[in-house]
Amino acid sequence: MAEHLAQNRAAKRIVLAKVGLDGHDRGVKVVARALRDAGFHVIYAGLWQTPEAVVRAVADEDADWVGLSILSGAHMTLVPRVLRLLKETGLANVGVLVGGIIPEDEVPKLLELGVARVFGPGTSMPEIVEFLKQNSGARHD
Amino acid sequence: MIERLIERFRHGDRLALARLMSLAARGELPRDTLGALQSSKPARVVAITGSGGVGKSSLVGRLITVVRDQGLKVAVLACDPQSPLSGGALLGDRVRMAGKPDDDGVFIRSLAALSGQSALAAHLDTMIRLCEAFGMEVVLIETAGAGQGDTAVHALADVVVLLLQPETGDDLQREKAGVFEVADVLVVHKADMPGAEQAFAQVRAAAELATPPVPVLKASARTGEGLAELWRLVAGRPLRRQADQVDKDLLVAIQEELARRFESALAGGVKGVRDLVSRWRQGSVSSHEAATAVLDLLLNEP
Repeated sequence: MAEHLAQNRAAKRIVLAKVGLDGHDRGVKVVARALRDAGFHVIYAGLWQTPEAVVRAVADEDADWVGLSILSGAHMTLVPRVLRLLKETGLANVGVLVGGIIPEDEVPKLLELGVARVFGPGTSMPEIVEFLKQNSGARHD
Repeated sequence: MIERLIERFRHGDRLALARLMSLAARGELPRDTLGALQSSKPARVVAITGSGGVGKSSLVGRLITVVRDQGLKVAVLACDPQSPLSGGALLGDRVRMAGKPDDDGVFIRSLAALSGQSALAAHLDTMIRLCEAFGMEVVLIETAGAGQGDTAVHALADVVVLLLQPETGDDLQREKAGVFEVADVLVVHKADMPGAEQAFAQVRAAAELATPPVPVLKASARTGEGLAELWRLVAGRPLRRQADQVDKDLLVAIQEELARRFESALAGGVKGVRDLVSRWRQGSVSSHEAATAVLDLLLNEP
C-alpha cells in the first residue's frame, strides 16, 4: 500500500465510454470503479458519445485502452467505426474492449476486426482487471 | 525517441503533445525538452477552483465555448483526486465538457492529483508550458476541489477564479478559508438556485473590504448567465506569471552584473575588496558582514 502514497507513475490509462443512444450506464460505472480500485487511471467519458468523440478522448488522454459499453444493439455499426477512426488517427495500437449485450455469434466478428476482448453480462470484475494486467494495451514507442 | 516526438510536436501533431504530456505527468520529460520547444507567446492560464460539487467542470465546459468564440485555442487540464489506497483514479471531468470532437482548437487532458496533498496534479507547470509551446492561447486548469488554504494554484495561474455556491456556510466560513487571498475573481455559481441572491450580497460585501477588493459576479453553467462577463473579467487581468518572470529575469541580470563587478574588483585590485576577502578567509569577519561591506564598496565604485 505504501508505494501508492506517491504518484502512481505506472498507472495505465483507460477511457471508458458509452457509444450510441442507450442510456444504461450502471455497468460501465461499476467497471470504472473496479478499475480505479485496481490502480488504473480511468477517464470516464460518459453517455451518448459519438465514435469521433471517443477517439478524440483516446488521443488527447494518451490512453492505453478504450472500453466501449454498448447495450443498444448497434455494436456492429459503432465498433467498426471506432476501430477505423483509431487507425486513421494513428492509434491502431490502443487496445479496444467491448462490454454490454453482444450476441455470441457476433463476438468472433468483433475480435477479427481488432477488438481485444468482449465482456458480456455476468463478467466478474476480477476477470476484467486480470485481463488488463496480463495484456499491455497500447505499445509505447 | 524524444527527438522524434519533439519533431512531430513542432509539426502540430497532437498525439505527440498527448505523449509528451504523459511523460511530463510522470516526471520523465528530459530536462532540455522545454528549451527545445520554446513557445512564441505566453498563454493566459486561468485556474478554476472551489470545493467538490460547486460546478467547476460544468463551468469549464461552458467557458471552452466562450473562449473558442473569441477565436482562441484552449487547453483544459482537469485534475481529479487519485486514491491514496489503490493509486487508481476516476477522472470524470470530461463528461461535463462535451464539445465538438473535430475542433482542433480544444485539447482536454484529465490528470490525477495526489489526494490529501494537493488539489493539483504534479508537474502541472511543465504541462502548462507544453500547451503553450503547442500554440494554445488559453489554458484552463480545473483543480481537484479542496479550497482551504490552497495557494499553490496562485503561483501557477495568471488568474484564479474561485467558485462558491449558495448555502455553503456563512461569511466567517469564507473568511476562514482564506478565499480572498487566493482568488482574483469570485463567482457565486449556480446563480439559478434559491439563495443565490443572498450569497451574492454577502460575498460582495466581504470582497469589497478585501485589499485589493476582489470582483464578484453571479454565474450559472446551466443557464449561461454571467459567463461572458466572467470571461471579460478574466481576460482583463494582467498576466501575473509573465510579470513574475520579468522580475526573476531582472534579478538574474542583477546577480550577473554584480558577479562581474566583484571579479573585476578582485582582479583589478580594488584594495578595500581584497582586504575584506582576506579577512574573511582568516575568519575574522562573518560571510554576511564581508558580503555587505563588499557590496557597499562595489556599488560606490564608478
